[in-house]
This record gives sequence, C-alpha cells and structure tokens, in this order.
Amino acid sequence: MIVGEQKSISEIKTIIAPYKKILIMGCGTCVKTCFAGGEDEVAVLASALRLACKKDGKEIEIEEFTVERQCEDEFIQEGAPAISRNEGVLSLACGAGVQALARRFLKTPVLPGVNTTFIGVLEKQGVFTEECAGCGDCKLAIFGGICPVTRCAKKLLNGPCGGSQNGKCEVNPETDCAWQLIIERLRILGQMDNLRIYVPPKNWQTSLSGGPRKMVREDHMI
Amino acid sequence: MVENYKPKITLFHCINAFDDTDELFLTGKDTCEIQTVKMPCSSMVKDVFLLRAFEAGADGVIVLVCPEGQCRFLEGNIRAKKRVAWVRNLLDEIGLNGQRLSLSNISSGDKITAGQIIDNVLKNLAELGPNPAV
Repeated sequence: MIVGEQKSISEIKTIIAPYKKILIMGCGTCVKTCFAGGEDEVAVLASALRLACKKDGKEIEIEEFTVERQCEDEFIQEGAPAISRNEGVLSLACGAGVQALARRFLKTPVLPGVNTTFIGVLEKQGVFTEECAGCGDCKLAIFGGICPVTRCAKKLLNGPCGGSQNGKCEVNPETDCAWQLIIERLRILGQMDNLRIYVPPKNWQTSLSGGPRKMVREDHMI
Repeated sequence: MVENYKPKITLFHCINAFDDTDELFLTGKDTCEIQTVKMPCSSMVKDVFLLRAFEAGADGVIVLVCPEGQCRFLEGNIRAKKRVAWVRNLLDEIGLNGQRLSLSNISSGDKITAGQIIDNVLKNLAELGPNPAV
C-alpha cells in the first residue's frame, strides 16, 4: 500500500488560509490503513481545524467527505456535489489522489493534507516500513522475495557490503541488513545458488529517473 | 485568573471504573458544570470524541479509566491512555493547551479519588481560563 503521513496542523492552516469554505476529502484505501486520511482522520482533522480557527478568530466552514478510492474517477465523482459547495478541497489522499481530483475538478483548488512517503507494508500494529521503491524492474524472484533496491541502504544487487553487524545495517543500526535477510531466506528456500547469479548494473530508466511512467493495457482500452 | 468563571467539564468514563450511581455525587459540585459520557470500556474513547467535547464548549475534559492491568477487556485503558496523549499533543499544536485534557486511573467506586481528580482539574482550569475556541 501507499503510506502517507498527515501534514502538521500549522502547515495545513497555512495551506487553507485563503479559503472560507473547505471540503476535507478522505480516501478509504491506502491512507486509511496507515491512519493518515481515512474517514476517522478526516473527522479528527476537521474538528482540530475548527477549534484552531475559532481560537484564532477566523471564520471557516469545514465539510467532511470520504470516498472509497480517490485515485479513480469512478469513485471521486461521488464527491462532486460536496466539492461544488466549497471553495477548495483539502485532500487527505496520496499524491495520486490529489492529482486525480485536480484533473477531474479543474476549477477547484485541490490542496494536499498528507505527505506521501512510500510504498510499504504494515510490519506490526502502528509500524509501517518501506518495501518497494517502484523501480519498474522487479528482481524479487532471485532475492528470495526481499528487495535490496529498497531495503539495502546501498542498493547492492550482488551480495552484502560487509559492513553489517549482528544482522543490522551499518548505515542505520535499527534497520535489518537486507542481504542478511536475503541469504537467510534463500537458505530456507534451498535457493542459495541464486547468489551465483550475476545481476548487471540496474537500468534506472524504468524508475522515476526516466520521468513519469505510464502503463498501457490495450486489452482494457475501448 | 478569570472572575466568575464556572468551568465546563466533560467527563468520559468507563462504566467499570466509575458507574452510573457514582455520577450522582457529581451533582454536588456547584463550582463547575460537569457533563458525563459513559462508555462500556475506555477504549471507546476516540480522538474525535475528545476534540468534539472541546468544540461543544468544554473547558476541560477528563477521562476516567480502570487501573492498569485491571481492564476487563485487557488493554482498553492502555489504548485510552495513548489516544489521550495523542490528542493532548494535538491540542498543544492547535494552541488550546494539552493540559485541558487529562486521564486518570481510578478503582471502581472510589469517590474520594474521583473528587480529588476533579478538584485538581478545577485548579488547573482556574489557571488556564476558559476554552479559547468557544
């Protein structure tokens, strides 16, 4: 899932300062799971902003609405009536959701209320970790399902650097050494021979380095 | 200190920490207005309920929970404690002062401690003054 973190109240106050009627729009998919922009977070932020504005003597009307998925037109159109009633939208979706709204509602300012941080997993309750860099050329098959591009601080593709201690990364001792994990996992899988596979220097053109990417599925196009 | 200030307090409580009959003793408190919200477990106290209590005009909010290790649902009071800490930070960020919100552990039926908790909150509110967002 995409993991995000809500911006600070002070930053959000600055962003919404020019508006007197604002819609806070949540997204019920990824950002709900990471407690950044679901229905509950919309309610908390709306309440906090109302209190903050009242304290500062600023009049503001805040409406709340959450759609199932903010990055798809089919879902965001449910918010059209609420959007038309307001001067601007504070989106608590990821950057894709904010831009999908901006594209769909050209004349309404769409403002971000969340910092989109990474593609990750829920490691344990309340802890989210980055597991995928979206590099566009997945090699997890040979690395035992553990991504060195994302999880190795040096992005090494052909074995460990030798600097790890007790299974921890020398760059950040709180991070597991990805190569330690890869080797342990390959041993469990009986695939230690994978370590003999030479992985050539990565072609980063498939990543964001090649500019915004596009995926086309002709079979789904009409 | 604000003169003729009668603080409004919203009291959220777990029914196992402080039951319906205990609420009656609060009617004797004439130095403040207390509104109670009873919950089947303190884990029911969500961030937004605490904030909305302030939106509704409370000068202070108290959450009474069972002593740690004695929650019938094992960790309800721990969850409440973490949420209260989160909302206190939020109140500080807003500029409302997180000290307006407090959580206390209390044994079932302990009216003396409950009275002391309310007295402490009233002392605190006398310093803080009315809710600036009302």
